[in-house]
Amino acid sequence: MSPAEESTAHGNQTAKAFTLTSAMWFAFATTFGMIAAGYLVAPDFMANVEYIHFGRVRPMHVNAVLFGFVTPGLIAAAFYYIPRLLRTRLYSERLGVFSAVFWNISVAAGMAGVALGYSQGREYAELPWLVDIMIVISFGLVIVNFLMTIRRRTEPILYVSIWYAAAAVVLTACTYLLGNVVWKPDTGALAGIPDAILLWFYGHNVFGLLLSPMALAVAYYVLPIATRSPLYSHTLSLIGFWSLIIVYTHIGTHHLLQVPVPTWLKTISIVDSVAMVIPVMVFLINIWYTVKGKLGDVHADIGAKFIFTGTIYYFFVNIQGSMMALPDVQRITHFNNWVVGHAHMGVLGFAGVTALGGLYFILPRITGRPLHSRFLADFQYWLVLIGITGFSIVLTIVGLIQGQAWYNGETLYRTLPGLQPYFITRLSLGLLIMVGAYTGLYNVARSLYFNRGAAA
Amino acid sequence: MYFPYFIAYMAVGFAVSLGVFFWALNRGQFKDQERARYLPLEQRASAPAAKLTRKGRIETVGLFALACCGLAASATAIVFALTQAR
Repeated sequence: MSPAEESTAHGNQTAKAFTLTSAMWFAFATTFGMIAAGYLVAPDFMANVEYIHFGRVRPMHVNAVLFGFVTPGLIAAAFYYIPRLLRTRLYSERLGVFSAVFWNISVAAGMAGVALGYSQGREYAELPWLVDIMIVISFGLVIVNFLMTIRRRTEPILYVSIWYAAAAVVLTACTYLLGNVVWKPDTGALAGIPDAILLWFYGHNVFGLLLSPMALAVAYYVLPIATRSPLYSHTLSLIGFWSLIIVYTHIGTHHLLQVPVPTWLKTISIVDSVAMVIPVMVFLINIWYTVKGKLGDVHADIGAKFIFTGTIYYFFVNIQGSMMALPDVQRITHFNNWVVGHAHMGVLGFAGVTALGGLYFILPRITGRPLHSRFLADFQYWLVLIGITGFSIVLTIVGLIQGQAWYNGETLYRTLPGLQPYFITRLSLGLLIMVGAYTGLYNVARSLYFNRGAAA
Repeated sequence: MYFPYFIAYMAVGFAVSLGVFFWALNRGQFKDQERARYLPLEQRASAPAAKLTRKGRIETVGLFALACCGLAASATAIVFALTQAR
């Protein structure tokens, strides 16, 4: 029995646990997002329910998406492909399942904490101190399992997905500790400008050093298998990995170009933001050449279809990101809904869609049975795709209206009536994504636990 | 005075990255790159390649149209910003 077959025989419990975690929190997170979008249409909407007023439900949405939906989805795929690429068994399924359970407790505690008003009030770092520690421990448990599996490998060469996945969890554990200022439990913050710098170092790295590398790792694993093609160039993929590690780390300060941050730090952030074109295009050229002429195969596998779509969004969001770091562009695009659109394109359009693709790719393989419903997965694909594309367009338009109004000295309240139709459209598009999330949860739960399909 | 902390952190990060890079270099991680391309494909039964169906073609066109909408929105905004922001 090969290590891969042995792993399947042992149940893939860790991958299954993280798969269910991701699908479940996707549903919760989109529900929180819908409530938040409701407030933008009707500010009195549920305003009497203090636990879910806008100031609380918005960070609940953001953190549930980041740490409940996308990260566990990508980790689920990693727990599947890491043992297979290393030709060994996972170091410990028991530890893996424990880490998934602990992960869920941490995220749930974070949601409860923010709902009860225990927020640290820093964007993307709102979770209370105790939950910060629990999140770091969760990452620590995953790191032990990843690194010990790498240590026990029988395949000497580390495929690029292993590099990305290992780097992502190790770097994020460090970034999370620093960015949440865990050595100051009472505030979870430094004072003044240094805190802003540290916060955006953390905030942008959650995307750049956690979601991006984990998602690229999944794409590098799934698309060659789905298209039955070897990777176009492994050397190119390693150049992409190392350039991402060098370039991405210090771009967070491009969120602070309008504030008195040292100029050298702003310059580094702008130069590195533009230089992100290198790792991004290296990845895209590599993966698109790998699947070139094999679109039939991409369509035949629902997981690959999601992931290929994610690569297209990766292109958009990164070209946007590089351009948005330019001060001239940022005068119009910053501090308005353009950035909200950009964030949704990155976190849902690229990383979230790739996580969903990873889940659908591994589900038949970890259960040994076909997906419960390919139709429902396709249905979810289109709901999410139309929803996120609509989001991108609507929020971009709203951002431009707000940016131009501000740039021309227009008073804020005079722009609001004109924005309402866009916010109503956004709410409707959010409904599509939320329905997609619940459809996915049903499909994943049925595939995992109530699947009557013939065993493969 | 907070710069030393940031510079120290960046320096430590750079040093650790270099350490891992040289570990990889010495362990031959950058050799045998041709075989590395095939690593995901090993231990898998081969099956005939799938052909692009009519539905798949329609989906591709739909996806391309949606992608064009997004690209057009982004391009318009960037051009608009660059021409107006003065």
